[in-house]
Amino acid sequence: MTADQSHEHEHVSLSGEEAPPPPPIAPAEPGTFKKALRQKRFTVGLGITVLLVAFVIFAPYLAPYGENEVAGPPYNKATGLFGTDYLGQDVLSRVMHGGGEILLIALLGTLLGMVLGIAIGVVAAYGGGWWDEVLMRLNDVILSFPQILLALVVLTALQRPSAWVLIVLVGVSHAPRVARLARGVALGIVTRDFVIAAEALGERRSRVILAEVLPNMNAPLLAEGGLRLTYSIGLVGALGFLGFSADPGAANWGQMIQENRLGLATQPWAVLAPVLIIAIFAIGTNLMADGIAQVAQRGDN
Amino acid sequence: MLIHGATGGSSKDTLDPHAPVTAADIARVNNLYEPLLFWNNNYELEPALAESVEGSEDAKTWTIKMRAGVTFHNGKTVTADDAWKSIQRVANPDAPLSAGGQLSTILDFGACKVVDDTTLQLVLKAPYAILDSLLAEYTLGIIPGGEFDPANPVGTGAFAYKSFEPGKTSTFTKYADYWGDAAFVDELQIQDFSDDSARVNALQAGQIQTVDNLPYNLVDTIKGAGGGTLITDTGAWVPFTMRVDQAPFNDVKVRQAFRLIVDRQQMIDQALSGYGSLGNDMYAPFDVAYAADLPQREQDIDQAKALLKEAGQEGLQVELFTGDDIGSVATAAANLFKEQAKAAGVDVKVTKKTPFYDDQYLQYTFAQDFWNTRNYIPQAVVGTFPPDQGGTYNETHWDNADHRDLVNAAAQELDDTKRAELLHQAQEIEYNEGGLIIWGFRQQVDGYGPNVNGLEGSKYLPLGSYKFNKVSVQ
Repeated sequence: MTADQSHEHEHVSLSGEEAPPPPPIAPAEPGTFKKALRQKRFTVGLGITVLLVAFVIFAPYLAPYGENEVAGPPYNKATGLFGTDYLGQDVLSRVMHGGGEILLIALLGTLLGMVLGIAIGVVAAYGGGWWDEVLMRLNDVILSFPQILLALVVLTALQRPSAWVLIVLVGVSHAPRVARLARGVALGIVTRDFVIAAEALGERRSRVILAEVLPNMNAPLLAEGGLRLTYSIGLVGALGFLGFSADPGAANWGQMIQENRLGLATQPWAVLAPVLIIAIFAIGTNLMADGIAQVAQRGDN
Repeated sequence: MLIHGATGGSSKDTLDPHAPVTAADIARVNNLYEPLLFWNNNYELEPALAESVEGSEDAKTWTIKMRAGVTFHNGKTVTADDAWKSIQRVANPDAPLSAGGQLSTILDFGACKVVDDTTLQLVLKAPYAILDSLLAEYTLGIIPGGEFDPANPVGTGAFAYKSFEPGKTSTFTKYADYWGDAAFVDELQIQDFSDDSARVNALQAGQIQTVDNLPYNLVDTIKGAGGGTLITDTGAWVPFTMRVDQAPFNDVKVRQAFRLIVDRQQMIDQALSGYGSLGNDMYAPFDVAYAADLPQREQDIDQAKALLKEAGQEGLQVELFTGDDIGSVATAAANLFKEQAKAAGVDVKVTKKTPFYDDQYLQYTFAQDFWNTRNYIPQAVVGTFPPDQGGTYNETHWDNADHRDLVNAAAQELDDTKRAELLHQAQEIEYNEGGLIIWGFRQQVDGYGPNVNGLEGSKYLPLGSYKFNKVSVQ
């Protein structure tokens, strides 16, 4: 592997010397977002996401009932817009209160997963050889567990999950997937001329990574981040549905589906309302990610 | 054929007549085996395999006359010897089984004797006025020679064993020579389901005919699908349990405050969808000695606050343990309590444990539990006595000698009026100082398909005490 790579180094730098320096090496950073904004897909996704985030933040102040306030008899369709849930709480108010935890855990978990994954991936790619081998094989070990299974094993052992545990779990379970992608993208960059030039100038390795490698990865990583956020929402929702949430009484979209699924035939809104909002949220972030991905691909061409 | 859907079963399912655990086990045991007496649908004692159970005047010697002409599924006649050996298995002093806890301590094993094929004489170490009620538990089925053979279980019930796959399904065939009303259906199948939604869907689709313990908020769903619901008053309760030997509940004022925080009617309306009756922090509502004259406790936030202030516990924070395995009512009630306690300035953190019934059970400072219909004396013994005196499920660690003496005295008292008086005093102590918050008694709600006839509700066990011989399927 080491031999291969150094060979590749040589080859690339040789071809670089032969041809005149190619122009499109300029950092893509300022361009990606602007280019993405011209994408209909991205703007729609961004619009949905921003609206939903605003809803999650402000809706609790506007909800007609409190989070745990009893509004009427259980599974009553006549109370409020969406009726009541298994305990007689107002479904609309529960949906309005229930996004905070899911959003926060999904966002922070994604962020953590991205940071961890990029760090691992870039270090593996840039370090090469032995580093690459060890990091990526360890990565493969974690990767072999399905995300939800990993989370369930830990949560079952812990009994009482706090929000932090969920964030770490979401983050850690994302990291190996992000690391794979980050390594792949970084491999294409660490062999480019400007990186070799920076090395030749005697820049510290950490500086090379931060100033030369990372800025050139932002488009595919942004796309990946959006995708991971979508998965995070799904994962946190699924964990809530399986009964793992920080507070069993709190409104939480995933947990609401679980609490009310028995009443699906009598009072479908108690399940459909949280399902729909999770779906809309996921579609929004996914469209966003898709838009960035398209820009990133075009940029590479 | 009749198929009954049950939940809670697992690979640990059993056909042991004396050790059923889950609702599926209880349904099986009730159709395969029968005790000497039985609680009828109105929760009164009724003869079953025994024609009569009569105590001597000092309540120390009890004579049991066996019903004539009753045969086991293997054709052998049921004798007094079978009954005595079954009792011995249950009341083994070294390892008493669920129905034998009290029997094992009061029976004078050396003096008891089988008089003849149809007469058994039980002699007690001390008078015990309600021995007959101990012999009526469904967990005291009579089996040949008192020996349980898991490969070929034999009883006297209306259905005989055919096949059994733990956690999945069990099949029973009609026992034609049954001494009572022979079954209408030729075959009974008890099917395990992993959760209520699967079971309710199966009922709606006509794949099964009966379900027990229907979630309360699904009554309308079943009715909408053309099925029927069987709704019966019971003495079953889902209390909050406060440990009286641990802070903050070692202060009686805190316990009293918590009992005043509960909005009992709201609990019934929301957690039971209205299918229940008010509780007054005392159990055994069907006992003739139930202290119905004590004033009904109601929510009183001001007084609760005052009591908490006196106890120096303003702004109290407590953790309330709940779990899905207590039953769907428990989590709902816990979430309601959290909200109700806010008004009194008490911050309740609800923690859902999976499973709730692990080695922490009986150690929780503040938690929940569930109990079925029982009379006062057996319930008081099992739930409020110290473990070495029979209190195997004393969640609140209640240890009150005055209360205990009253209960023990009542168990030996032959005069009904005097016994009721003693029990009234015992209940008053618990009403004023106890560690249980009994906010209500739930009604039993079972569901059945549109083609099912003959079901009658029972105050004792779900689905008319699972007497499937009375059920016909069109």
